[in-house]
Amino acid sequence: MPIIFATMSRLYFALMLGGSLFILMRGHNDPGGGFIGGLMAAAAFATLALTRGVDHARRVLRVHPVVLVGCGLALACVSGLPGLVSDASYLTHWWTSGAVHLGTATLFDIGVYLVVLGGVLCLVLRLYEDLHGEVAP
Amino acid sequence: MLFVVVLLLCAGAAIVARPVCRILGRWGAPVLAGAPLAAFVLLLREQPAIAGGEVLLASAAWVPTLGVDLAFRLDGFSLLFALLVTGIGTLVTLYAGAYFAEKPPATAGRFLSLILLFMTAMLGTVLADNLVVMFLFWEATSLLSFMLVGFDSEKAEARRAALQALIVTGGGGLTLFAGILLIGITLGTFSYTEVLGRADELVASPWLTPIIVLILLGAFTKSAQVPFQFWLPNAMQAPTPASAYLHSATMVKLGVFLLARFDQVFAGVPWFGGTLVVVGSLTMLVASFEALRATGFKAVLAQSTVASLGILVMLIGLDSEVAVVATVGFLITHAFYKAALFFCAGNAIHATGEAHLSRLGGLARVLPFTAFAALLASFSMAGLPPFIGFISKEYLFDAQLSSTWSVAPVLVAVIVNSVMVGVAGVVSIRPFFMARRRTLTIRHGETPGLLIGPLALAIGGIALGIVPNVVAATLIAPAVLALTDTPVDVSFSLWHGVTPMLVLSGLVITMGILIAVFWTPIHVTLRRRRILHRLFGDRFYERAFNGTLALASRSTQVLQNGDQHRYTAVVVTSTVAILAVGLLVSGTGLPFVAQGPLRVSVVAVLAIAVAGAVATTLARSLVGALVSVGIVGFASAFVFLLNGAPDLALTQFSVETLLVVILTAVLLRVPLARAHSRTPSERRRDAFIAALFAVFVFVGAASMSATPPNMELSAFFGAASYLEAYGRNVVNVILVDFRAIDTLGEVAVVAFATLAAWALLRRGGAPRPLKTKG
Repeated sequence: MPIIFATMSRLYFALMLGGSLFILMRGHNDPGGGFIGGLMAAAAFATLALTRGVDHARRVLRVHPVVLVGCGLALACVSGLPGLVSDASYLTHWWTSGAVHLGTATLFDIGVYLVVLGGVLCLVLRLYEDLHGEVAP
Repeated sequence: MLFVVVLLLCAGAAIVARPVCRILGRWGAPVLAGAPLAAFVLLLREQPAIAGGEVLLASAAWVPTLGVDLAFRLDGFSLLFALLVTGIGTLVTLYAGAYFAEKPPATAGRFLSLILLFMTAMLGTVLADNLVVMFLFWEATSLLSFMLVGFDSEKAEARRAALQALIVTGGGGLTLFAGILLIGITLGTFSYTEVLGRADELVASPWLTPIIVLILLGAFTKSAQVPFQFWLPNAMQAPTPASAYLHSATMVKLGVFLLARFDQVFAGVPWFGGTLVVVGSLTMLVASFEALRATGFKAVLAQSTVASLGILVMLIGLDSEVAVVATVGFLITHAFYKAALFFCAGNAIHATGEAHLSRLGGLARVLPFTAFAALLASFSMAGLPPFIGFISKEYLFDAQLSSTWSVAPVLVAVIVNSVMVGVAGVVSIRPFFMARRRTLTIRHGETPGLLIGPLALAIGGIALGIVPNVVAATLIAPAVLALTDTPVDVSFSLWHGVTPMLVLSGLVITMGILIAVFWTPIHVTLRRRRILHRLFGDRFYERAFNGTLALASRSTQVLQNGDQHRYTAVVVTSTVAILAVGLLVSGTGLPFVAQGPLRVSVVAVLAIAVAGAVATTLARSLVGALVSVGIVGFASAFVFLLNGAPDLALTQFSVETLLVVILTAVLLRVPLARAHSRTPSERRRDAFIAALFAVFVFVGAASMSATPPNMELSAFFGAASYLEAYGRNVVNVILVDFRAIDTLGEVAVVAFATLAAWALLRRGGAPRPLKTKG
């Protein structure tokens, strides 16, 4: 691995992860959203795995990618529940009134983000592991 | 309200069963048994109203557009079933706690939570008024019985039996569902109460025959009627508390429940009852011969259960009010003595670790109370006075003699009941009182928890026989009222005078005693005869099962031969064919209509894409091809961007990047450059397919763009996006709000597909051994 790429990888990682969160949060009004954000975050972790090893990437991730998938799916499902209370209709979102609109739709999008991130990382990390002959935990 | 409380009591107990067992240890089961007991008491409190002819109905909207409401109905018949389910359920919960006392609390907790869930499903099935809701609960019982039969999942036999039970009863459930749907289509309602009220309409409909056949299949598979009866004896792999509950008292009777309900609807269809009589009688005969052949303690009981179910089905088919009384009476009687006998069998097997009848003996000395209970229960089963079994058998003969059927069912009933008497003698006297070979090693004695169930049921059997009018007035009369719609005089008494029924009873008992005495020679002789076993065993099931697997593996070999080349060719050719058909049908021809001015930027990007595509085909190495394909991908992202779809472009960019990342990882594991394996003729064929594909996709795309797009939706979303969902990015708003349920589905697909792929990518040949929790 070229030494410049290896050294810069932490910076790239931080930039890409931050960018992905930015893309996620602004998605409701500007181009972006959970799906794209999740893909970018996955690319960030993939970069880290490529340069500093899969084990390092897993440590930075802290939880197993499958856990992310499960949490994301659960979050997306749960975000629809408030609608049942107010409107008797699942996935009717709630919103705060005021200048900045936040709502359960944001939670839903975060769920999508986590599923995509976890899903892609499941495969990428596994493939890289095989490549480097490391042993899966 | 009552329905919700009762169902939630059992479901709630099931949910907390595991933590409760972990915290309270052996006291977990008695605490949990409080839930079904409370449900029992709550249901019993409705008894006076129900006995007065009242029918409790409750309904809440669930899927109103499909006519599916959470509707429940409590009448005499469902009350009887619900009381059996909760009453015996209480005893089973207590018994299971003691049965699993030596096992770790986690095992007991797992079992109890399954049993309590099962109880909830049973209750739901018998209480539901909406047929679709009933079907949901019905399927839940099939699924849960799969879990319970296969509870000892490390045993291959248990797994096989569980799968068999699931396939047979689940398959029957599907036909039942088809029948229910046909009823819904014919009458426009799924409410049983309404179906009952409009029975003549249903009987007059052209769909009558398919409906009846489908419902019969569902009931026959569930209640183990010939030719589906084989799964029930095999299901004895389940732990004994589950066998006592599922395979004697409750689940297998669901089919009977359904038939009794629909017998009322199809009262005007003679062949409905006729089929029941024939199938029931056949089941009785087959099962009683199998009972004589069986060797295991539980196996003998299981075969006698199948015979009893046959009796019930036959009784429902008979067309008299006496038959209805006999059905209801035998339902109660059978639940009492069979559950008690299963409990006793469980105690004997639990104590000795020996399941074969021939190796058990002299257990009365070490298990005195169990022996006592087994004796009482088996007397009831044999139909001796003063047990309730005697009364119910008298009614059975009465129903047969008073029906319009010929003498054949009576003959069958005499034979079968004789065998029942024999079985009763063999399962109570032999293992407990005949000490030919003393069972020396006793691993566990009797504990209170193991005795409450059998003793309560066995003593209940004799108590009901001595004061039969109590049960007749409180349970049987209301149930008969619910099934016949007319008050029937239910005179339940031990002595009817010297009647033909009494003569038949005497004959049956004499023959039964002879069978019990000469059990061993009969058993040995019948074991050598395998004709019946071959005809009615599970050979056909096995053949169908293995045949399906073989078909699957052969078709996989043809379709999935591992040659990527062939896969691609098939996919591309199919696409071309579909496009060609579409173009021909729509008849749009070749409309090359240029819209708007030619945009240089788009043309330039497309030129790059074309260059990338050409380079891909010419690339000598895989990495080169990968980079060239990437060019095509990025170029299309630019096209999206230029056409005002920034979200799509962003996604395409991210996907392309990740594709490179993933493919690099894959490609680094295969040889980077290798010689082409295709012959020149293959290359020519591939080029032809590719060219054809290109032409058709181009023509298809051109004709699509020639049709003016419908802007209605775009206009709506553009206008409503900010007002209703506070977002300016229409694409994202559609994804997370307007059509969020679609996105949820897609995300779920992504999640599960990834899980599957992740599992496939796991390395290391043999899977890790299952964790056994200590």
